[in-house]
Amino acid sequence: MNAVIETHQLHKHFGNIRAINGLDLQVGQGEIYGLLGPNGSGKTTLIRLITGLLHPTDGRIIVLGQPMPHKGVLAQIGYMTQASALYEDLTIRENVAFFAAMCGGVSRQRVNEVIALVDLTDRANSLVRTLSGGMKQRASLACALVHSPRLLLLDEPTVGVDPQLRATFWAYFRRLADEGTTLIISSHAMDEAERCDRLGFIRRGKLLAEGTAVSLRQQSNTPTIEAAFLHFATMEQTENPSQGEANA
Amino acid sequence: MNFQRIFALARRVIQQVLRDHRTIGLLIFVPMLLLTIGALLFRADPTTFPLGVVNEDEGMSIPLVGSLNIGERIVTALQDSAFFEIVPVTAVDTETKLRDGTVQGVLRLPPDFSAQFLENRQAVLDLRLEGSNPTHSQVIQARVMEAATKALAGLASSGFGLGAQSDTPAELPVSINASYLFAGEEFDTMDFIAPVYIALLAMFFVFLLTCVSFLRERSQGTMERLLATPTTRLEIILGYILGLGLFALVQVSIILFFTIWALKIHYLGSLGLLFLVVALLAFVGVSLGMLASAFARNEFQVVQFIPLLIIPQIFLSGTFWAVDDMPSMLQPLAYLMPLTYANWALRDIMLKGFGLVDIWPNLLALFLYGVATVSVGALTMSREVA
Ligand SMILES: Nc1ncnc2c1ncn2[C@@H]1O[C@H](COP(=O)(O)OP(=O)(O)O)[C@@H](O)[C@H]1O
Ligand SMILES: [Mg+2]
Repeated sequence: MNAVIETHQLHKHFGNIRAINGLDLQVGQGEIYGLLGPNGSGKTTLIRLITGLLHPTDGRIIVLGQPMPHKGVLAQIGYMTQASALYEDLTIRENVAFFAAMCGGVSRQRVNEVIALVDLTDRANSLVRTLSGGMKQRASLACALVHSPRLLLLDEPTVGVDPQLRATFWAYFRRLADEGTTLIISSHAMDEAERCDRLGFIRRGKLLAEGTAVSLRQQSNTPTIEAAFLHFATMEQTENPSQGEANA
Repeated sequence: MNFQRIFALARRVIQQVLRDHRTIGLLIFVPMLLLTIGALLFRADPTTFPLGVVNEDEGMSIPLVGSLNIGERIVTALQDSAFFEIVPVTAVDTETKLRDGTVQGVLRLPPDFSAQFLENRQAVLDLRLEGSNPTHSQVIQARVMEAATKALAGLASSGFGLGAQSDTPAELPVSINASYLFAGEEFDTMDFIAPVYIALLAMFFVFLLTCVSFLRERSQGTMERLLATPTTRLEIILGYILGLGLFALVQVSIILFFTIWALKIHYLGSLGLLFLVVALLAFVGVSLGMLASAFARNEFQVVQFIPLLIIPQIFLSGTFWAVDDMPSMLQPLAYLMPLTYANWALRDIMLKGFGLVDIWPNLLALFLYGVATVSVGALTMSREVA
């Protein structure tokens, strides 16, 4: 496997909160890796560590062959933050063009193409301030995609997106993966898990289990991903009962 | 009207303010700070002015009475006056000493001064003033007048037969013939303050604008996004300086146009140089804004910078009180304020017509100030995202 992301014994502590607590992760090229875990489990922290926005307390991160943080690699990363981080007083097109320029610049045509992709062509000249939550989410995705990155980090991208558009999103994610883009998609909605190539259950800054949706269900002998998550969570809790308290 | 709701609202507001320790601190600390600065400034001991004297008076000998040198008497009176620090000057170096600030005025007493006085019963004092600070010019004239009058009054009582004066007590035997190196009589206090208005507006406009823009950049998450691109902190900072600095220049053009053509402010030096100073000041304003925004969690806390940072700076940067007039314990603070250097530079340009050779140290100070602030600002930028 050609690893796009590798972390080794990664730790990130905020005071006595161990947001990431000894995490080993390997993601290969063209994979859609689903990072599944409840609120506060460390998904956002892990993604920010991968971008180099946060520096690890301990351990190593290698992205596209470079140890992070590394500014050069960032041109090949697209990052969609959890809350749609956009300039409210600019239009959608201006936002997309701006972030494209920050990553080295793209053609006008590419900007329009990305806007069309998230189905916002008729609102391209509207100020972000006037958009609905779902539209902002789509515009935010467009900003992360515009420079055709090799690695896409999407932090809960489908929150507030209606089911129909969600399907469109996933079809597009799949197409990107087929073209060789690596995607990390975090979610706390377990029903989306089936669409990922591989899943990582994250809880209290640790990977509980990894594998395809099918294998995880089989291993835990449960009918749904949600049940599988609970199974692994209880198992870990009984193995390390003290851990949870130290983290709480 | 429901009092329960009103009380619940009041209670919530109180809880929020109490939780914001900085606001509490500000409510208590800032009024005391501002009052202290104000008291120190208003109660400052009157400044002594360095005054040059060229005394060439040869005196006059009056038969039966003795010799008389009125020039000397006036110099003695000036020396006795608490307002002046008398510096010996020659007729030749008058202009240089005025220009480099060694003296603020030069009183020239010609060889026939005493003779003229005895003939006309009237002393005309030839006073050359530096002129760029109209308040100083006025005070110096008044004090010189006072000292000379005293000297001449002493003359009358020592029996030099000048009794004729008492017939017309309303008419003073002293008048001043003032001339100015810079600016001049037609320059008033507004002319003195206009350059610093320009500086003040240019700087604090961009300061507040940057502060709020940066704050928004962080609160809406775009800063995080920006830092997750190859864009470096320095690039972000320079982009802001370029973008907001442009507004500062446009704003200053309008202010300049308005002050010069509408308010008829006098102005001597080069317009290009003036813009250079303002551009540097905008640079400092943007960098300070970025630095300050790291210490503000919301727009409300940005507003708090006005009493905390801006008003003291207006007091202490020589805007209304020239730095030399400030109490000596406050003067070191003036050197910490970027506005001080801009004020000096702008006044030199607008009131004295100075060029780059004269004002470059102030420009350098501004530039270094900006660079230092940007560097510290870049450090705080990494801290806030982590
Ligand atoms: N900047 C920070 N300072 C302190 N604690 C933080 C910070 N960022 C995250 N945390 C803590 O780290 C843990 C994981 O947070 P996060 O990664 O945001 O979780 P998730 O994205 O999975 O909901 C939480 O307990 C959170 O409170
Ligand atoms: Mg999160």
